[in-house]
Amino acid sequence: MPRRVLSLVSGRISVAILLAIALLAVFGPLLAPQDPLATSPDTLAGPSGGHWLGTDYLGRDVFSRLLDGSRISVVGSLEVALMALVVGAIPGILSVYLGRAFEWFTLRLADTLVALPFLLFAVAVTALLGNGITQAMFVTGALVSPLFYRVARSATLAVARSQYVEAALISGASLGWVVRRHVWVKVLPPIAVALAQTIGVGFVIVSSLTFLGIGVQPPAPTWGGLLASDLGYLSYQPWAPFAPALLIMATVWACNLLADAIRDVSGEAGRALANTRRAAANQKANQTAAGGRA
Amino acid sequence: MTVLEVTDLDVHYGLRRQRRQALSGASLTVGPGEVVGLIGETGSGKSTLARAVLGLVRPTAGRIVIDGEDVTGYRSRQWRTLRRRGVIQYVFQDPLRSLDPDVTIADSLMEPLLLQGVPREEATAKARTYLARVRLDEELLARLPGELSGGQRQRVAVARALITEPKLVILDEPVSALDAANRVQVLEILKDLRDTGIALVFISHDLGSVAGIADRIAVLYQGELVEVGSARDIVAAPQHPYTRLLISSAPTLRTASAGRAEREALRALLNA
Amino acid sequence: MTTLTESPTTTTADPVLSVHDVRIRSQVDDREIVKGVSFELTPGKVVGIVGESGSGKTLTCRAVLGILPPHFEVSAGAIHVAGEDITALTPARLTAMRGSTISAVFQDPASYLNPSIQVGAQIAEVIRVKKGLKRRAARQRAIELLTAVHLRDPELVYGQYTYELSGGMLQRVLIAAAIAADPQVLIADEATTALDVTVQAEILDLLADLRDNAGLALVVVSHDLAVVAQLCDEVLVMREGEVVEQGPTDRVLYQPEHEYTRLLISEHEQYGLEKFLSREGR
Repeated sequence: MPRRVLSLVSGRISVAILLAIALLAVFGPLLAPQDPLATSPDTLAGPSGGHWLGTDYLGRDVFSRLLDGSRISVVGSLEVALMALVVGAIPGILSVYLGRAFEWFTLRLADTLVALPFLLFAVAVTALLGNGITQAMFVTGALVSPLFYRVARSATLAVARSQYVEAALISGASLGWVVRRHVWVKVLPPIAVALAQTIGVGFVIVSSLTFLGIGVQPPAPTWGGLLASDLGYLSYQPWAPFAPALLIMATVWACNLLADAIRDVSGEAGRALANTRRAAANQKANQTAAGGRA
Repeated sequence: MTVLEVTDLDVHYGLRRQRRQALSGASLTVGPGEVVGLIGETGSGKSTLARAVLGLVRPTAGRIVIDGEDVTGYRSRQWRTLRRRGVIQYVFQDPLRSLDPDVTIADSLMEPLLLQGVPREEATAKARTYLARVRLDEELLARLPGELSGGQRQRVAVARALITEPKLVILDEPVSALDAANRVQVLEILKDLRDTGIALVFISHDLGSVAGIADRIAVLYQGELVEVGSARDIVAAPQHPYTRLLISSAPTLRTASAGRAEREALRALLNA
Repeated sequence: MTTLTESPTTTTADPVLSVHDVRIRSQVDDREIVKGVSFELTPGKVVGIVGESGSGKTLTCRAVLGILPPHFEVSAGAIHVAGEDITALTPARLTAMRGSTISAVFQDPASYLNPSIQVGAQIAEVIRVKKGLKRRAARQRAIELLTAVHLRDPELVYGQYTYELSGGMLQRVLIAAAIAADPQVLIADEATTALDVTVQAEILDLLADLRDNAGLALVVVSHDLAVVAQLCDEVLVMREGEVVEQGPTDRVLYQPEHEYTRLLISEHEQYGLEKFLSREGR
């Protein structure tokens, strides 16, 4: 699968961008040339040799804040995706096997989560459990989990009705055996697509929560937080939101591109794509051969 | 001693108002080494009977005895223990769907053995033996089902069913998805099995497709076993109008469709 | 092989379908899938094509209908339907021709009907598009067609949905839709394969009726030689894209030349009903 994803241009681009973002998350805080929290009297300065991206309203170096904030932004969105995977995908698989009561309960729970207004839920949880990054991740993870639940459940349903699962059951296989041997591999590709998509969505959510002041607390920098503070001084520095917005956009775009690439190489769509390419290649070969003869 | 003894079996599907009887009062015995053809159209209850014998549907009345063990009213745990012994095996119609596309031939073949707790090395050796018995090369072991032809896949499915040394194998239209050369080859393999004492139950909608291989034929019509007898008797002197319709409908190499008037008369008789 | 391409030109009527040395190529791996198929079909005659899946019989039918799947092309040969070379037709002309001159039914009838529209309305739609009839007249004609395919209570069937009908009934509905615009040729590609034998016999009887009453020319495609034998005047046996045997049905059944044809016949004799029944006719 990874090799087939990399054979697509879109797959290569997205993986390259995501690698760069990952490097930024790992090394960003170490690379920051100045203390991201240090204020200076030089407020709202333009880009210069000292401050590559200028300074904010407290005179802090924007470039350093961007680099320093990458880790928490990326880790945050990854946490959202993992949370969704654990509380969404696993119950989704089990809902097919653990009997009607569990199925009914998890289905209704997923419906309820879908129906909850996101911001209201976020504010309510913050009020109940206090403000912090863990709570924010919990909120977002819980809210995107129905997607994983549904995707995992439908993939499992398709496998559960298949004959090879029945064949295994006739040979005396238990539930655990069936899930380990047959179900898991089939559920993985659709979940990978949902995961790539969710990392993108998670990024936007983490950023917008920070924008609202939920989750990461100032003065700690995040990309969303930077965007939020920049927007307040738009009339002084109209170009300032550009850098954090670009980073967020690039990541989300790369995640969606990766999701597309995974979808394109798996299943029926993957085969159609492979055929189209081979036909085109043959056509080309024939043309050059004909050209050579002419 | 019989391998399978089904007595007065009733199966119902659905609840309350939608309750529908799929099988009523079916009785059938299969002796060791016997080949029985179970014939019926879609919805006649032939698959239901097979599924009841495999413990996949719960009968509402009647008795099922497998290899001397009364399994009526077994709970799922007891079924699992019974199935792991591998006394009964099942071969599906379409080998493409009955083999997991992401699991190698070796692992698919070994699965029933691994479930029995047989060590992997022993299971691998046995997988080799049984692959040879269905006349397949052992280099196929590392392949995936998608890399095999339809005929090879179905032979793998047969090998998988035989690997636990069952006393009874139920086959659901085992050759109808195959091409002629492979049909003949699979049928020959199955014919050879008879001498080893394994009982076979062929399920089919076409009497013509099993008449040549079965010792006895049982005809199911609308959930009831309307006729059971030796293959020769059933074909030469069918009693029930539905059996007569089946024989008259089976496509044969006779060019003239002579039986048309007869078929229409029989249909009228059945619908009356 | 060369002797096979010479069709017996004893018939006087003009052929409604003539396929001459058709070859089909896959652009994906640049392989020839169908290697030269030729036959002629005059009104009221039936040609049978027997072969495994992958032998090229379905591709041949699809080429005749002008609906080859993506990445397949007719690389050589000619297909004439009612005197017109279909490879030279524009897509619009091809569409006009399908249904009104040449039509087809396939293996899985349910997948060719819309589950959320009454089956009768779907036949009426074909009539309105192809024959330009008004709504009421189209409905009347659809019910006539449902009667013509021997459906009991056609008025009731008209208002039913696919899930209310059995496979055999759906195949009859599809045949009704296929003959709605009075085509001259009907292709039945494995049209009885998914059906129970008793229903299969009914559908084959229906096809024979259409041939006798409406003078329809039929192309019957099946993997089962016996199905084809019931109905056809001429049989083509295909294997891996090649026509390995071609000739009048009786000749193919009683004096098969190719070993593959012999295999098909011996399978029936060994494992089929023929083991107990003597073959009649000879």
